[in-house]
Amino acid sequence: MLLTGIFASFFALAIAVIAFGAVVKQNEPPRTPADPLQTREASHFFTSPQARPLEMPRVPVEALLSQLESHVRLEQAAAESFVADPTSALLHSRTASPFVN
Amino acid sequence: MTTPLNADFLQGLSTGEAERILALGTRVTLESGEELFRLGADAKSIYLIAQGRIDLTMPMQIRGREQEVLVEERRQGQTLGWSALIPPYRFTLRAAAPLRSEVIAIPREALTGYFRKHPETGYIVTLNVAAVVGQRLSLFEAMWAREMSRMVELKCA
Repeated sequence: MLLTGIFASFFALAIAVIAFGAVVKQNEPPRTPADPLQTREASHFFTSPQARPLEMPRVPVEALLSQLESHVRLEQAAAESFVADPTSALLHSRTASPFVN
Repeated sequence: MTTPLNADFLQGLSTGEAERILALGTRVTLESGEELFRLGADAKSIYLIAQGRIDLTMPMQIRGREQEVLVEERRQGQTLGWSALIPPYRFTLRAAAPLRSEVIAIPREALTGYFRKHPETGYIVTLNVAAVVGQRLSLFEAMWAREMSRMVELKCA
């Protein structure tokens, strides 16, 4: 009787362990194959997904005004060419202005 | 001192007529950086550049501060201040000398008074004024069209 009880206890314990293991396995997130993109990004050494792009240094106001003056002179010259010989090509001709290049 | 007898608005006049027109004016010397007239001021005189250069500018907001930005350069022999002949007679740009310059300021009243007595001179000068103003209009139309074209390309490309 005693042995039967012991064996029954062990059996019940085994069932409980097996059942517990099954429940834990059910709650685990499904394993998916590794995302190659994430793997690639994670392996980047110099960048990170959260890094902000570097800010370009601001051009000083004096330099900006100088560029504006240059742009105006070039545009005036281009417009003079057009007025002297009005064609679509001359109206939309390109200059070396730093503002548009 | 130079006398700009070949100035744009004196084209087609005899030397004597051109000299009589210029004699209506007063020579004004501007030091480097000195203002000739400011935006919005009453326009009572037109100015003929006898020597040097005059920059025409407009105010523009750049990084929260107002800056004068070059719109047009006028050189020796060229005239500016046409607003003195066109109602409401107020300057629409600021004019200043980037280097030491000399201009001849011709008052509107003196000029129109002379034209009343010499209508044939008035006719020739008025045609010259129309040609200069018309050319500037065409220039700015072209400059505006170019900028608009670039803006459209940027926004709608």
